[in-house]
Amino acid sequence: METLLYIALFAPLVSSMFSALFTTTPKKTFVGVIASLLIFTSFVSTSLLLASIVINGNESVHVEMMTWMATGNLYIPFGFIVDKVSVTMMMVVTLVSTIVHIYSIGYMDHDKSFNRFFAWLSAFVFSMMVLVMSDNYAGLFIGWEGVGLCSWGLIGFWFHKESATWAANEAFIMNRIADLGMLIGIFLVYWNTGTLQYEGAFEVFKTLDPATLTWIGIFLFIGAMGKSAQFPLHTWLADAMEGPTPVSALIHAATMVTAGVYLVIRSNELYSLIPNVGLFIASLGAFVALFAASMALVNRDMKRIIAYSTLSQLGYMFAAAGLGAYWVALFHLVAHAFFKALLFLGAGNVMHAMHDELDPFKMGGLKKVMKWTWIMMTIASLALAGIFPFAGFFSKDTILEAAFAEHHFVIYGVLLFTAGLTAFYSFRLVALIFHGEERYKIFGISPHEAYRFMLVAMSPLLILAMIAGVLQEPFFHMIEEILSAHEYHIHSHTTLWIMLVGTQVFVALAILYAYKKYANAFIKVPDGTSAIENSFVYKFLYNQYYIPYFYEEYLVKPYRELSDIFWNKVDMKILDASVDGIAGIIYGTGEKTRAMQSGNLSVMLRWMVVGFVVLLSLAVVFGLTARYSENITVIFSGLGAM
Amino acid sequence: MLDHILSILIFFPAIAAVFGFMIQKDSIRAYGISVATIEFGLSLWLWFTFDGNVSGMQFMENLPLVPSFGVNYILGVDGISLFIIVLAAFFTMIGIASLTETPNEKNMIITILFLQMTMAGVFAALDAIVFYVFWELSLVPMLYIIGAWGGPLRIYASIKFFLYTFAGSLVMLVGMLFMAYFFYQATGTWSFALLDWYRLILPETLQLWLFAAFFIGFAIKVPMFPFHTWLPYAHGQAPTIGSVILAAILLKMGTYAFIRFSLPLFPDASAAFMVPIAVITIIMIIYTAMIAYAQKDVKQVVAYSSISHMGVIILGTFALNVEGITGSIFLMIAHGVVSGALFLLVGVIYDRRHTKLMSEFGGLAHIMPRYATIFGIMLMASVGMPLTINFVGEFLSLLGFYQQSHILTLLAGTAIIVGAIYMLSAYKKMFFGDVTKEENKNLPDINKRELVALIPLSVIAIWLGIYPKPILEPINNSVEAVVRLMHNKAQSELAKERIPNLVKERASVIKKTVIEEEVH
Amino acid sequence: MEIGLNHYLVLSTILFAIGLAGVIKRKNLLLLFFATEILLNSVNIAFAAISHYYGDLTGQMFAFFIIAIAASEVAVGLGLLIVWYKRHGNIDLETMKSMRG
Repeated sequence: METLLYIALFAPLVSSMFSALFTTTPKKTFVGVIASLLIFTSFVSTSLLLASIVINGNESVHVEMMTWMATGNLYIPFGFIVDKVSVTMMMVVTLVSTIVHIYSIGYMDHDKSFNRFFAWLSAFVFSMMVLVMSDNYAGLFIGWEGVGLCSWGLIGFWFHKESATWAANEAFIMNRIADLGMLIGIFLVYWNTGTLQYEGAFEVFKTLDPATLTWIGIFLFIGAMGKSAQFPLHTWLADAMEGPTPVSALIHAATMVTAGVYLVIRSNELYSLIPNVGLFIASLGAFVALFAASMALVNRDMKRIIAYSTLSQLGYMFAAAGLGAYWVALFHLVAHAFFKALLFLGAGNVMHAMHDELDPFKMGGLKKVMKWTWIMMTIASLALAGIFPFAGFFSKDTILEAAFAEHHFVIYGVLLFTAGLTAFYSFRLVALIFHGEERYKIFGISPHEAYRFMLVAMSPLLILAMIAGVLQEPFFHMIEEILSAHEYHIHSHTTLWIMLVGTQVFVALAILYAYKKYANAFIKVPDGTSAIENSFVYKFLYNQYYIPYFYEEYLVKPYRELSDIFWNKVDMKILDASVDGIAGIIYGTGEKTRAMQSGNLSVMLRWMVVGFVVLLSLAVVFGLTARYSENITVIFSGLGAM
Repeated sequence: MLDHILSILIFFPAIAAVFGFMIQKDSIRAYGISVATIEFGLSLWLWFTFDGNVSGMQFMENLPLVPSFGVNYILGVDGISLFIIVLAAFFTMIGIASLTETPNEKNMIITILFLQMTMAGVFAALDAIVFYVFWELSLVPMLYIIGAWGGPLRIYASIKFFLYTFAGSLVMLVGMLFMAYFFYQATGTWSFALLDWYRLILPETLQLWLFAAFFIGFAIKVPMFPFHTWLPYAHGQAPTIGSVILAAILLKMGTYAFIRFSLPLFPDASAAFMVPIAVITIIMIIYTAMIAYAQKDVKQVVAYSSISHMGVIILGTFALNVEGITGSIFLMIAHGVVSGALFLLVGVIYDRRHTKLMSEFGGLAHIMPRYATIFGIMLMASVGMPLTINFVGEFLSLLGFYQQSHILTLLAGTAIIVGAIYMLSAYKKMFFGDVTKEENKNLPDINKRELVALIPLSVIAIWLGIYPKPILEPINNSVEAVVRLMHNKAQSELAKERIPNLVKERASVIKKTVIEEEVH
Repeated sequence: MEIGLNHYLVLSTILFAIGLAGVIKRKNLLLLFFATEILLNSVNIAFAAISHYYGDLTGQMFAFFIIAIAASEVAVGLGLLIVWYKRHGNIDLETMKSMRG
């Protein structure tokens, strides 16, 4: 078992290091193939681990590789645990990354940094595995920062583009802000429990007072907010779409951004002790779900729309996790990973066909040339919208039920409304890209379907997006012991059916409306003249509530200006100048008194007399004070001589 | 020979330097490298024969110099000083090995060998006077390196460096003399031996004064805000090797002296001054990081980043618990490796383009991918990425201080944010984007001689990040001894509260034995 | 009126002041020597008087010492002065500026 664990963990690292050997050499297809094989090996090992846990009923596999840090009372090992929660995440990570690796062989075909891409991508998988498998908070933090680093490298993969490197730095720095919160959370855990191991810490949590636990919960959640791009640290996610599309699929949809949700689920024993923080998390999640969906309504960048939908779905997950429905959150995380990765990879196909064009208004009618991509993206969107019987229906409806059953009707209402918005913007995108007039012809683009093997690589995701719902029951039974889960039953069957059917009808109407509005022949490329484009709400949403503008104007610029002031004014003009000033006074005194040493004997004699008189006066003064010698002893002892 | 290994470590390079005057010009480089390599080998030998489980001083030497006044030539190492000595020898070696074409190469190498003597002396000395002598002597070769091989403002920079630090250490000398005098008052014999001083418990008011006197000397050396302004000039003007050794080793003298002198001699004063010093370090961390962000010259970015990191080191030191102090010592090593490597990297590009302005570069990742990779590794080490050497130190330092103050740690923790801001923006300016300047289009990538220096540093930066135990354990043992001493000496309520009592069984020890049992 | 210690000391002080004024004011090296002699002798008077007052011969002994040293000093000084005059043709203090800092 341990061997399997190590293979699952280190195969991606080997893959990354192998690819890194070729970073400076021209494209070599075998690098991509070997990297994919190694990731696939990791997937197979994970599957075997899953099988042993599910079938053989092994509780968990727990290994301690070696000591990392040990000093004072602190003891942090490299310890890894595969239990039902982490194995679920491992399955998602390895499966999606295997697919993305294979897909990337085709997608990055013409890129001269092909080899470097695989080095980074595999490094990401390794970091993510560390994050997921670690058995303590410090190890989690290694993976946490590691995925941040790889995300930096991959967002800024095309580093000749200013926008890409800017977005990479933004993502890194914004995550760092949250990581500080996480770090403080870790410190709190350590000083209150004396250990960073989950097991040990959770034991002690039960005995701590609620105030401390609340602080721990808040600070750890701040970390989760950064990685999962929750408001107000959300702006980096949309900008991160500068990276290659497979990266967006793997990192910014399926795995890394869900790390925050994973953290909350992993620490469920903590958060179930502090329901107030949980309620805050749920409310923030619901807010973000709506907030992100509203921005997706009007955006004109294909990848950004999908990014906002990711953000919105993360809100759903947090809503579920915050309400204590951890298994529901985890299940939605899994289902979402499948259909969202599929959606992104489909978008990648479209981008390839359209020569990196991102504006869906400039596409239209692509279903004729890209039939398979059309089918895949439609099914992924149906799953995202939560239409029966696709994956999203099971996971998302359960979240709604959970909110309803917990009597948080505001959250329920917000989430329900967001479900409608989700359906609308998803199919707005599908309609604009694949239906209607072939507007791309104006721009002289001749699209083509992606390579066959890329489509084949995507097919597991397609199947999972369709059938993941049937896994809900087995998943629940697998996870129920560890996540103290209970099924959410709405007591009256009538209510349940009304809710289910009502939601389905609402969502279906939203889809139909989207088709009606955007799949017709009259859609044109917007030129900023129509009434709706000039309305306040549109502008407000299009500019992302002016939040990036606010950050730029009121945080970034003042920071830069303040830095300049600190350097030019404070450091140079005050601190350094005062040091130089003191030196200057000493120099100046020397320069002035130099005149004394004129070499003129009579002048020197005069100074000699002055000195003599001064000494004489001092002698007189001391002679007088000698009479009060007792007092003087007191003065000297006051200076420290005893 | 093992009995005198410290003396050999100190005086071997000095004697070799004297003989260096007789060496032919064209073979001086080989001579310098071999001397430095032998020195490094000796320091490694010291490490391997060092017993990591002993917390006290090892390899002690004692030779009377002025017995009537208690001035003795006393040397010794413990886990606190051992690794800095090894690091100093290491940097001397790779510094000489990576030396580019320099005018008067012979003088340069001889100067560096002298510098190595003073560095080994400072960290091995256990007598205040011997310590002071080496401390001051170390200024001379550095003055010469900056003044003779520096940039256009070299005279100004070197004199500023010399006088500023010299003025500070004079105050420290006064403190030392007073300390010896009090020892005489208390015991009737003169002694400058540090281990004797450790036994002295001073009244608290006196501690405050003496602490302040020592503080000024150390703070200028570190350099702490607001005494830091000499450092950017020194780094800005010094040749690459000067900056490397200055940042990697010489700055550590100040932080090392805090742990060697201030903490065990004045535990009450350390506890009393903890909060003001923490505030200073927070200012250091944020303020200098912001200044680093505003710089146009990449070497200045690294120079100011050094000050910012030194802030974290001091913060860890004044955590006054084992985690914090161990972390700060580890961070000294880490910062030595990383900032030394960063200065070497800046030197690489300076040799090619003779400018350090970031606006002159851009898109270097296209032209020099290997250089960009190594720079990237060091950049990530510098911003404290886990599994690199800096993270261990920063994590432990901040973790340690968190026990003392939550808010101050939160503020100091912004180091990880502001550090990322200036480092990433500098990296972006230099390496990303398109190649705009014609001169940059044909720059050669990093060559073998430069790799000789940089590959080991990269390996160390990652290896010690993943497996810090060989260093962390001896440091931990010695630090526990220091903390125990401080706790026993503490008189004031404040100090008793802030300095932990280490009587309870160590969790790490228990854990370790359990694992060993499993293995057997 | 009997002449006591104070009178001697006052005389000594006056002579000392005269000598001091001479040291400050004179521009001629020879006259400077005179002024120095007056200073030394004022001290001699004080020594002798105080010695007599205490009945301790040490002070008078010192006075003899000073006389001897003053004599040798004048001898060396005058020798140098003559050499200087031969070199430069004057003994004016204003011209002696080679020690300018």
